[in-house]
Amino acid sequence: MNGAKKIVLAEDNSMLSKLLKFKLEKEGYSLFIADNGKKTIELIEEHNPELILTDIMMPFVSGLEVISHVRNKLNLLTPIVVFSAAGQEQIVLKAFDLGATDFMSKPLSPNELVLRVKRLLS
Amino acid sequence: MGDPIIQNIIELFHYLFFIFSGSAIASYLVLAFISVIETVEYKRKNSYVNYKEIMSSDSAPSISIIAPAYNESLNIVENVRSLLSNHYVNYDVIIINDGSKDDSLEKLIEVYNLVQVDYLINEQIPTQPLRNGIYKSTNPAFEKLIIVDKENGGKADALNMGLNISNSEYVACIDVDCLLLEDSLQIMIKPFLETTDRKVIAAGGVIRIANSCVVKGGKLHDVNFPKKLIEQGQILEYIRAFLLGRMAWSRLNGLLVISGAFGLFDKKIAIKVGGYDRNTVGEDMELVVRMRAYMEEQNKIYKVAYIPDPLCWTEAPDNYKIFISQRNRWTRGTIETLRKHRKIGFNPKYRVLGLVSYPYWFFFERMAPVIEFIGILYFGILIVFNKIRWDYAFALIILAYLFTVFFSLIALITEELTYHQYKKKGTGIRLLQIAFLEPFVNHPFILYAAIRGNFDYYFNKKKKWGEMTRKGMTKA
Amino acid sequence: MNTYRFLIDYFNDSPTIIQATWIVIGLFSILILGLILYLKYLRGHLRKKESITVAYEQEYEAALITYLYAGNDEEEISSEQQAIIDLLKNGAKEPFKRKILIAVLLKLKNEISGEVAESIQNLYYQTELVDYALSRLSHKKWYVIAKGIRELKQFQIKEAYNPVIIHLNHPRPEVRKEMQLYMVNLFYFEGLTFLDLLETPLSEWDQIQLLEILQKLENQNISNITSWLQSSNDSVIIFALKLAKIYNQLEAKNEIIQLLHHINKKVRLEAIDVLSYLNVLEAKEILKTDLQKRSQEEQIAVFKMIENLYENDDESFIMKYIYDDLFEIKIIALKILKRINREKFCSLKRESSDDSFLRIVNFIENN
Repeated sequence: MNGAKKIVLAEDNSMLSKLLKFKLEKEGYSLFIADNGKKTIELIEEHNPELILTDIMMPFVSGLEVISHVRNKLNLLTPIVVFSAAGQEQIVLKAFDLGATDFMSKPLSPNELVLRVKRLLS
Repeated sequence: MGDPIIQNIIELFHYLFFIFSGSAIASYLVLAFISVIETVEYKRKNSYVNYKEIMSSDSAPSISIIAPAYNESLNIVENVRSLLSNHYVNYDVIIINDGSKDDSLEKLIEVYNLVQVDYLINEQIPTQPLRNGIYKSTNPAFEKLIIVDKENGGKADALNMGLNISNSEYVACIDVDCLLLEDSLQIMIKPFLETTDRKVIAAGGVIRIANSCVVKGGKLHDVNFPKKLIEQGQILEYIRAFLLGRMAWSRLNGLLVISGAFGLFDKKIAIKVGGYDRNTVGEDMELVVRMRAYMEEQNKIYKVAYIPDPLCWTEAPDNYKIFISQRNRWTRGTIETLRKHRKIGFNPKYRVLGLVSYPYWFFFERMAPVIEFIGILYFGILIVFNKIRWDYAFALIILAYLFTVFFSLIALITEELTYHQYKKKGTGIRLLQIAFLEPFVNHPFILYAAIRGNFDYYFNKKKKWGEMTRKGMTKA
Repeated sequence: MNTYRFLIDYFNDSPTIIQATWIVIGLFSILILGLILYLKYLRGHLRKKESITVAYEQEYEAALITYLYAGNDEEEISSEQQAIIDLLKNGAKEPFKRKILIAVLLKLKNEISGEVAESIQNLYYQTELVDYALSRLSHKKWYVIAKGIRELKQFQIKEAYNPVIIHLNHPRPEVRKEMQLYMVNLFYFEGLTFLDLLETPLSEWDQIQLLEILQKLENQNISNITSWLQSSNDSVIIFALKLAKIYNQLEAKNEIIQLLHHINKKVRLEAIDVLSYLNVLEAKEILKTDLQKRSQEEQIAVFKMIENLYENDDESFIMKYIYDDLFEIKIIALKILKRINREKFCSLKRESSDDSFLRIVNFIENN
């Protein structure tokens, strides 16, 4: 398992994170799950993952702040994919401004997510 | 005391006193009963509404949050951030810096990258002039923010400036240190948008007490029951007033007050009636009464809505000095408003407003403390003349006390069945305890403050605004 | 025993009013005692309910995840999946557990699309939850119906079309709203046909929600809106006007122009707004001729239109309004004048000595 690529997933819906963890681990990735922005930042600092998946609307520290922390405080170029609900175009634009790599709108398709993750990590 | 005339007067006095107490008790019970019906109905209507479904819509009407600030430098930056984090899409935040003498403006300029902008104000309501002018942020993340720096003119004057500045259809007038839940605007706007058979002119929210609650990043994180009896007493009092009192008035469409801490208004009507009155300390109540009177005079079918959900949390006084000055001000506000609009009282032209709401407020809010005070004086005189049947007095006092406790318990049970905010184990016993203690720990001070308010109103006209020094919330 | 005797005698000797007082005191004491016990029970009950809910939630969440990944390619439903279905079906018999189960399914379904969403819907059928929801549609109580429709919408059960559409003109607005949301969520623009038969008002809140769903759709081919523009239900007309704006229904131009003379002011206002947005110049000419007869709000709306659609020969018309009493109109008139005849605009500044007027002119000049 030493070679498994690490992914931090920030998502406050426990069902969705369980499902995605299951799906991505099946593909051979190693997953770290956070349910709020603060924990996300801690996990990123601890594990230095190859990819970050984050929801935009999260309690306490929003996805936007996570992106800004990674890019500006930690100065990392780790790819970041953000999830957002439909109709939040403005926030998505802000996320790209702050340095997000890609975005997927909710409801999201797990299969599509796996494809994108593979592409980003290949 | 042998004179038959005096004897008769005393007799009459006794009867009036009994009638007053009896009708007060009856009115409380009726209101409680109506509020239970209304609460059940409200819960049924709204339990499965998904407010997220409307949150992102840009076809939703525009709302301006107007928050006056006077010397709030301590928390202003935090407070503004909290106001900016609402989930509603089509809104802006107008902070009126009402001639503050501290560094509020400098702090805001620095943190929010503000620059002065040219702004054409449609001065529909006269106000004090601008001081340094109007500011907006250069950072697109804060594009919703407008800061207005004006000469001091008091809370009503500042709110009027906000009404002039706002370009929105609706205005939410709030206290700047109020903590609004993120979906508060969606929930408050709902009655305006869903009512089709009448015009909704205003909506009032519930005020909850934030003392001892944990606030993180401008959001309510954990609800705690405070330790001090004075704070606990106010919590009980607020639950009683909001869940049992106003809920019933909303059902009767007789609501006279929307708390100044959080209310949403149809801007056009608020401006049409002339905005807030600068000459009263009860500007929040006065505006609602005036708007209602206007609608009645125009013969329009209208409604003042009420939202019982706990959306707005604010710091309540935690010491008796500030508590008394706050209640003193409330008393004067009520007297001023009722006096100013006395033509409404008992006037059938104003229907529910004139025949039910006004008389109720006059007798049971305005006069209650005065009558209680006279009763106590009379009791004192009887003691001096040794005319008391102690056993009778004892029975009546116990009865009054038990009724108060009973009513508080009903309020607590309603709270548990609806919003259940104080979930923690061990709080139940403290809620019970305060239900029994409140008549001793808070009521005497409320009575004293009300009497002082009456005195100040009639004999101390110079009395200025009670300054409300507020304690900061627990910042984690 | 003596004290007891004394109290009884005392009571009997007291005047009626005091006797009544003591009786009421007794009554209140019992009531208060009851309320205290109830409060205690209630708080305990709520706390227990919360912890049981969490336990079931976890159980069902785990079961759902297992179910989603226990499938194999050979069978439609594997034996492991069948076991989970049976477990959930059993749980669904109890209303309390059913509620939790539905919440768990929705928690995931709302966030996900594609295959997984389909398997969740499939599970909704398999566990027979769908039958409970369908049976709610004919319930006596309105809020039961409303919740039923809402659930069927969330699980996208299109088969319920007939029992749902019956509630088209239900007396309770909440039921109607859920019916409308069901139709539009599941059948998109075709679902809007309920507007043909709607007799009750469509509130602004309903309209916003419907528009929001429609705007999220990928397919943006709207059906013909002209019949709704001629509806006898004013709120349907207003909604159709909003659709016309969002979907650029220039084809319906003539019908919308007709609405400028509709009896309802709200309809007229909305029509002015839409025609302005669609750049219909002929509407401007019509409105210019009868502007004085219109309400203040309409006049302001017309000026907003002119601000958007002004032409050089509007100048003489505009000049009549630069000193208008209405602030909004005065400003727009001056703004337009500045654009079509800068010289004249500047001359105003020299001619006027009114402070508040100059303030406005200066502001417009600089912005």
